[in-house]
Order: sequence, then structure tokens, then C-alpha cells
Amino acid sequence: MEIKETAVAGTLESSDIQIMISKAADGIQIDLQSDVEKQFGDQIRSVITTTLNEMGVTAAKVKAVDKGALDCVIKARAIAAVQRASQTTDQPAWEVL
Amino acid sequence: MDNQIVDLYLKDAATKHDWQAFLESLGINNFAEREVDQIDFTIGIYQAGELVATGSVAGNVLKYIGVCNKGVTSGARFNTIVSELVNRMFAKGVYHLFVFTKLKYSESFQHIGFSELTHSDEAAFLETGSPDVHDFLADVPTVSDQAHKKVAGIVMNANPFTLGHRYLVEQAATENDLVYVFVVNTDLSLFSTAEREQLVRAGTSDLSNVIVVNGGDYMVSYATFPAYFLPSKDQAITYQTTLDARIFRDVIAPALHVTTRYLGTEPTSRTTSQYNQVLNQELPPRVAVKVVDRQVAALSDQPVITATEVRQFIKNGSLQDLKAYVPDTTAQFIQNHLVTLQTRIQKGMNIDGN
Repeated sequence: MEIKETAVAGTLESSDIQIMISKAADGIQIDLQSDVEKQFGDQIRSVITTTLNEMGVTAAKVKAVDKGALDCVIKARAIAAVQRASQTTDQPAWEVL
Repeated sequence: MDNQIVDLYLKDAATKHDWQAFLESLGINNFAEREVDQIDFTIGIYQAGELVATGSVAGNVLKYIGVCNKGVTSGARFNTIVSELVNRMFAKGVYHLFVFTKLKYSESFQHIGFSELTHSDEAAFLETGSPDVHDFLADVPTVSDQAHKKVAGIVMNANPFTLGHRYLVEQAATENDLVYVFVVNTDLSLFSTAEREQLVRAGTSDLSNVIVVNGGDYMVSYATFPAYFLPSKDQAITYQTTLDARIFRDVIAPALHVTTRYLGTEPTSRTTSQYNQVLNQELPPRVAVKVVDRQVAALSDQPVITATEVRQFIKNGSLQDLKAYVPDTTAQFIQNHLVTLQTRIQKGMNIDGN
């Protein structure tokens, strides 16, 4: 799936994560900000990367502001952001869920 | 409606009164009409009939954010308000936002994904979203081995590009290996941003070591330095120019290895001369400031070349007088587009400012 425009999903409220995805030349770069970065930073990054890979995204710039989201929330927000950024919201990626 | 986000319509006198009283109780006191008029929308949270949190957006800048934390987890309402403002802007396709705030609140914004561009003793300036300042800098053309070259920078509105601007660029070009000319991005001048940029490019195309770049949101933009475009008090000008100067010193100059900033003397514009004064205080020693005297014009009775004068000539249609003030490229453009430019002036475009 190709990232066509910048898009965002999620909020900055407690237990949520805000994920912004924009175009990149190649590779997935994640800029993560989280209070639990030390404890769960790698886990959060891995959930985002895995979700993007499952959706076939190979190049993207991701900016994530985490407020203590659980993995299922991170995954949901990542899927929503990718679908918006690739302009495919009319074809939900059910198989990823 | 308790604890729900609602839209506040400041056109309604009672709403505005409550809103202003609430912010005043938190120490925000600037409610000048031209500030409040800039607001695009305002949201708030009420509890038991009392306003307990609010925030607004003007252009791509978050403004008038105030939150009362009584009885709730500290920061929860702040996050709710900023989240809603940011999401509404994202929904509109505006992915790059700024905030000016008191220095003590900078951390609160950094906590929710903003990054600080610079701060002064009392204020901080932050951005969030994309493209950010790193994307902006990555797009600026560079030359090989730039770190060991002598690089200078000039920021100009060039409304339009005159022989005075040309003289300034020429001076810098002879004294340096590379010169960046940053053209002010904000589109609030008689000549549009694209036209100004095009005329600077055309007027400097023979100088091989000059690179013309759009200054983006980071140099004398409507976000960082609104006083350049709106008549403002001295205090506001100093406050804004300090942040503008520090962004140049701390972010722009190091990334592009700019060691000298060139300025033209400003005998006629109060705002610009104050700006120059602040640049002189803030930039050295990290970035040297070089002031170039305005070139004496060909006409004996006109001591300085100013773009303000040029705009007067356009208004009056005196194309002959104009030729002594601008390079051929600019003169040609004005001749070809005289009617369009005059129509803009008739439609109320202010030509006496910057």
C-alpha cells in the first residue's frame, strides 16, 4: 500500500496514541514519544512496524505520541492512519484485523 | 453538556465575556481586537455552567489556550483541548501547527508531541506535525563541503525586488562562497509569494553563488512575526523578533553553516529597524551581523531605494521613475502586469507597510 498524503488517527488523551503517517522515500522511520518509552518503546515500535508491514506499507514516516495505549489500540490507530494516508478508507483492510 | 467539548462563538457577546473573564483569571490579558479577530474557531469545556477549559486556532497557530485543573487529574483537560484543536486542524488537511506560549508551559506542549524550536526568557515557540523544521532544512539545496565554506544568509520580503536588494545580495556574494536569500513566505504583500520569489531569482540569476529559497514558516512568517504584517506595539515586536532571531541562530544557521547574516539599513520602517536592532543583539557571536548601507540611488533628490517608494510608483503608474529603482527584470515584470498590480491596490491591498 502506498502512502499518498499525510494522515493522522488517534488523540492525545490518556490510554490513546496519536499516529501521524506521511510519505517517505524508503523504509519505515518511527519517531515515538511516550512516557513509558523506556519500558515499552520497543514494543510500541514493533506493533506499529508489524501493522504497517501487514498492510504492505514499505515506506513511511511515522510520528507517534503515546499516552499509554494498549497494543490493540496502537494497532487500530495505525490501521486507521494508513487507510487514511493511502486514501483507501472505502476498502477496510479486514484481514489485518 | 458537562465535560463535553463545545464550540464557543465569540461573536456572541455573552460567550465572549465569559471566555475573556476565564482567560483573564489565568493571566492572559491581550484581547486587542486585531488579535481576537484572527481567531478562526474556539472550543471550550463547561462544568456546572462554568467554563473550565478553552483553546482557539488562528491560521496554523494555536492561541488562547487556558485550562482550570480544579477537581480533575492535572493535564487531562489540557490534553483534551489541544487534542481536539489538533485533530480538527488535521481533518482540514493542516498538518503543521505552531504554538507560542509562556516558557513555563513549553514542557506541557512537549509532553503531547510538540517540539520546541526556540525560547526566550519569557516565551517559547513550538511546532508539531509534518513537514517540520528538519524536513524544511532537508529540502534546502546545499553545496559540497559546505561546512568549510563561508556561507551568508539574507532574509527579504522583496516586495518587489529593487536595486537596493540587489546591492545587498551583490555585497554578500562578493564577500562569501555561498549566499542564501530566504524570501518571506507569507502571502500578504502586493506582490504574491511566487512573484516575489521569481523576481529575486531573475534579479540574481547572474550571481552563481546565490541560492534563492523560500523562507517557509521559520523566517519572518506570519506565524513567527505577525508584527511585520500588522501594526503592533514595540513590546510585541521585540518579543516576536527575539524568537525569530533565535530560530535563525539556533536552528537555521547551524544546519546550513551560515556564519553571517546580511541586513540592509532601515531608515524608514520602524518595525524593520527594531528587528535589525534585535538581530544585532541576538545573533552574535554565533552568527555575525553585517549591515550594508543603502545604496545611493541614481536620482540625486532620492537618497535611498525603498520598495515602499516603488509601490507608490506602481500605484501612480509612473513607470519611468521606477526604472532607476529596480533591476530590468523587475521593471519588465511590473510593465507586463501593471493593471493586475494596480487592481490589487484598488481592492485595498496595503502598500505602505512592509
